Amino acid sequence: MSEAYLRFWGVRGSYAAPHETHLGVGGNTSCVELRAGDHLLVCDGGTGIISLGEELVQADELHEMLVVFTHYHWDHICGLPFFQPAFSPDWRIEFFGPGDTAADIERRLSDQMKAPYFPVETETWMADINYVEPHDDGMRHGPFEIRHFNVHHPGVTYGYRVRIADKTVVYVSDNEVQFLKTSIAKRIHEFEEDEHELLERMVSEQRSAELAAIENVDILIHDAQYTPHDYSKKRGWGHSCYVDTVNLAIDAGVGCLYLYHHDPTYNDDQVAAIHRDCLQIIAERKSSMECHIAREGLKVRL
Amino acid sequence: MHNAKPIIVLVDDSDAMRTLFEQVAREADFELHAYASAEASLTFLDSNRPNLLVINVMMPNKDGYSLLKQLRANPLHQDTPTVMISSKDYAQDRVAARELGVLEFVAKPISKKALRSLIAHYVDGGGAPRN
Repeated sequence: MSEAYLRFWGVRGSYAAPHETHLGVGGNTSCVELRAGDHLLVCDGGTGIISLGEELVQADELHEMLVVFTHYHWDHICGLPFFQPAFSPDWRIEFFGPGDTAADIERRLSDQMKAPYFPVETETWMADINYVEPHDDGMRHGPFEIRHFNVHHPGVTYGYRVRIADKTVVYVSDNEVQFLKTSIAKRIHEFEEDEHELLERMVSEQRSAELAAIENVDILIHDAQYTPHDYSKKRGWGHSCYVDTVNLAIDAGVGCLYLYHHDPTYNDDQVAAIHRDCLQIIAERKSSMECHIAREGLKVRL
Repeated sequence: MHNAKPIIVLVDDSDAMRTLFEQVAREADFELHAYASAEASLTFLDSNRPNLLVINVMMPNKDGYSLLKQLRANPLHQDTPTVMISSKDYAQDRVAARELGVLEFVAKPISKKALRSLIAHYVDGGGAPRN
């Protein structure tokens, strides 16, 4: 197999932030490309997928891809109506995401292109489009082995675990970690003393499930949207505080963490400050984990 | 004569939640069937209608919404009284649950006292939705 790599095309959460002060990190919303030779896997279709599509059509090298969606919140699908390969008869594209049937997936992706939200519908797509029928046993796309799992975010939202080139990459764009723990802490007064042991077991179970999904992976791309101050105001919005993210990754034995889904209100300096704090936490915990900012355009060899 | 205790089915991958329900079942007059996954619950639910069905939302493999959609397609479960329970406490999940005709969406954690009250309302009292 020739070169395998991942590339970030969109790293912002919530909405695009194309401001001069933000462009060191990048302004486009979620989209990550994983390439292994002639095989292409794309995670999410935020505004980042528009530039990816333009490059793919211009390069005219590949003509097949699988695009997987974590969920259908607009920052993850809003680039799709402008995704050039979908409008080209030269392409074969498979789409997968949360849903009970392939028709569910199709409806959720295509509704954003219906009137009055968009001028042309998915009927104008000329590519050979297929929606993958959901199943629990994972998927293969060329050399990629792909499994999805549920994460903590409003509605049904997936994380993806991808095995490629002897490496495991986990993509978790939107996930609010430690939510049950903080719910219990806020409501502990509702419980009798003899119920505390069960509550501790619940917290332990949730932590075990969070860790199991990312245990010992080589690369983790994970939601790190908020500072502790902002998280205190936005608990329950479905995103993580970076302190929780970096501690989760250390506990899980992750090799390399990419801080992802940056808040659109944070400029380059603010994201850099988050990164410095993460490195401080890693040093204090005497961990060898690498930690980087997911920056638009960054290419990581696998 | 057959002594028909009310039947409650719990589908939750949390061992602690199943323990909680078992503890309450021991002191209350209902029969509990607790399953750790949606798949494990289907053998019983394919042909049995409980007095109350309690389903966790986030589970490995088939999630609670998928399970309930599948059950609602079975005429036996079109109106089975159902409560959804979740560590998630988001408005969108409450709406999704309501669209599947659940009586109530309960955010974890739930205390024994609150669980007894829930069962008394929906099983013993045959109550209408409280929220």
